[in-house]
Amino acid sequence: MGRNENNKVPVRVYKAGGSAGGIFSSLRMAGEEVWQSRYIIWRLFARDFIGQFRQKVLGIFWVFISPLLGIASFVFMNLTGILNPGKVEIPYPVFVFFGMTLWGIMIGTLTTVSGGLLAQTDLVMRTNIPKIALAVTGLAHVIYGILINLIVLLIITTSFRVIPSWGALLYPFMILPLVILGIGIGLILAVIGAVARDITGMVTTAMGLAMYVTPVLYTAEFENPLIQAIVNYNPLTYLVDVTRKVFFLGNFQGLTAYLMASGCCLVILLLGIHSFYLIKDKVAERL
Amino acid sequence: MSSNDWTIRADRISKKFGLTLRQSMKYGLKDSLRTLAGRKVDTNSLRAGEFWAVHNVSFELKRGESLGLMGVNGSGKTTLLRILNGVYAPDTGEVTMRGRVGALIAAGAGFAPMLTGRENIYVNGALLGMSAKEIGRQMDEIIAFSELGSFIDMPVKNYSSGMFVRLGFAIAAMSKPDILLVDEVLAVGDLNFQKKCYDYLHRLKTNGTSIILVSHSVGAIWAICERGIFMHEGQAKLLSNAEDVIRAYDDQNSCSALEAAIKEYDHNLEFSEAFGLPKRDAFQKRAVVTMSCPTLRVLASDGAEERTEFGFEETFVIEAVIDVLTEIAFPLFRLTVDAVHYKFFAKTDSFDQFDHLRPIKPGQYRLRAKILDQNFRPGTYRINLSVCLNHQSRSEFYWLGSKAILIRHPRDRFLYADPNAVMHLESDFVLSSQE
Repeated sequence: MGRNENNKVPVRVYKAGGSAGGIFSSLRMAGEEVWQSRYIIWRLFARDFIGQFRQKVLGIFWVFISPLLGIASFVFMNLTGILNPGKVEIPYPVFVFFGMTLWGIMIGTLTTVSGGLLAQTDLVMRTNIPKIALAVTGLAHVIYGILINLIVLLIITTSFRVIPSWGALLYPFMILPLVILGIGIGLILAVIGAVARDITGMVTTAMGLAMYVTPVLYTAEFENPLIQAIVNYNPLTYLVDVTRKVFFLGNFQGLTAYLMASGCCLVILLLGIHSFYLIKDKVAERL
Repeated sequence: MSSNDWTIRADRISKKFGLTLRQSMKYGLKDSLRTLAGRKVDTNSLRAGEFWAVHNVSFELKRGESLGLMGVNGSGKTTLLRILNGVYAPDTGEVTMRGRVGALIAAGAGFAPMLTGRENIYVNGALLGMSAKEIGRQMDEIIAFSELGSFIDMPVKNYSSGMFVRLGFAIAAMSKPDILLVDEVLAVGDLNFQKKCYDYLHRLKTNGTSIILVSHSVGAIWAICERGIFMHEGQAKLLSNAEDVIRAYDDQNSCSALEAAIKEYDHNLEFSEAFGLPKRDAFQKRAVVTMSCPTLRVLASDGAEERTEFGFEETFVIEAVIDVLTEIAFPLFRLTVDAVHYKFFAKTDSFDQFDHLRPIKPGQYRLRAKILDQNFRPGTYRINLSVCLNHQSRSEFYWLGSKAILIRHPRDRFLYADPNAVMHLESDFVLSSQE
């Protein structure tokens, strides 16, 4: 057909036993498929993005308001003395907003990726777009959310007259492990959650609990030795705490632990991609 | 097989499903965990509570060739189409698709209700594998084809389902696929648009697109496809030319209609029993107190074997046992025939077959009527037996019983028509030049 200028005919093979190979073939396929579908991912993002705001009264302002409302309750609890965050070097609202932002990035990524396939059921059933592309389509939203949060953060820091250190420039890289972790867990949940729906809910709830053993709302110092031990062994502690210290104080204390925790995240991402490719063929018939 | 011209090759593909949601979830989890643990999952055999939605289907399709998929609902057509589109992974076998696949099952996929038709063209086009440039180039053509006019800039949430399909088809068609999978979507559009779509399918075909068309419309299949697959209970019962497949499908349809007719009849009997209505006369408000018909059978022309299926133009015999309770002066027995869409479109009775009415005394009788030279078109029919009791002042007909039969397609002729036609006319066609 005249249309195929480069004469390259795409060939697809679907066979029993699926496409599953080793962990490296999963990785390679994930890379290829996401790259091939980049235009589709962009289109779907644009679609959701525009569609979303056309339905909202406050439009674009909503993205600024919602993160502020998110921290309001904690600031209130702190003001009334119910919540004692320990010794914080920066004003508490800034502290808690930063912590919540980091936590939100991880949870947001996780829920977006894990719910990605379910949200796109129609496309899974009717088109042959690579499933991984559909699962990560929502990531565009996550990135967008990160940018908005950054702007809100700058507004808050300025209004509290807190000056971030030069380490703030490393922010995009420092949050990367959290995003990676979110994608990794999200991918596992995306396929398993499609088979058994309640698992996603269970894990998300469990992650909500994990927030309380991570220095999100308060510092990492505890009097109870058991809780202290849990917090110390929790890799998320370093991903949140070190990032915050680097951002505001330029203090790289705990960097080794941070890097080790990042390594954990990377392993989880690899496992996530691999399990996604092992089970993804089962997904369509369970949606 | 030898040529390098094929675009689709399906080799013994199967797909199984669990009957209940619970079971399929259990198996799904089990299989998933097994796969994660690096163990092989055996997909070749059925476990308790599973069935083959598609079983061992093989075919090959060349460039510019069209294949019709026919079968009653639930025969596996959609599942097969989804396997071809890569939605379901087959449990056995292998499919190879060469070229860009456009799927009309994806018509309108990804439409966002809040976006305008124009914006959705970009989304849907991208999903069908078109680049932004390509879409931009085709935009005017797509809009023109869809005939949506100024509605194209309206949010699609206000579209009717017909408009949805128009836009969806326009995009899918303009994506100029090498392989086009068409599910029964066109039925939503109005007749004019349907015609346009089929014309366009023809054009695509001439340009080398291979088409797989799922349809219940015999006309559509016959017009587009040279070959077809008749699917029944997941299996490709017949892979042959379109005519054979249509015949098989039509016969299967008649079979289902026959089954339904028999069930309905039984149900009505049960119903009348449960409510204490007189048996066999459930359809007739007034019971016949003078006569009843305990058995009614349809027999082959030799008058011995009872059957429900007959060949085209095959003679059959109606046999009834009749209990006469009181003496009847001038009984007239009448057979009437109902088709699916028409009641009482043919009749014969003992009087117009020169049987002189004479009184009959109480007792048991056997009535036989040989139906000669019947020319019912293939399909399902119901034969009713009734009796006319002639009184001095009026004649009353009473329904005695009925039996459903099936007329099969002849092997050697293709009797395609709309389901509206019930009678076949044998005729002599001559086309001669008038110059």
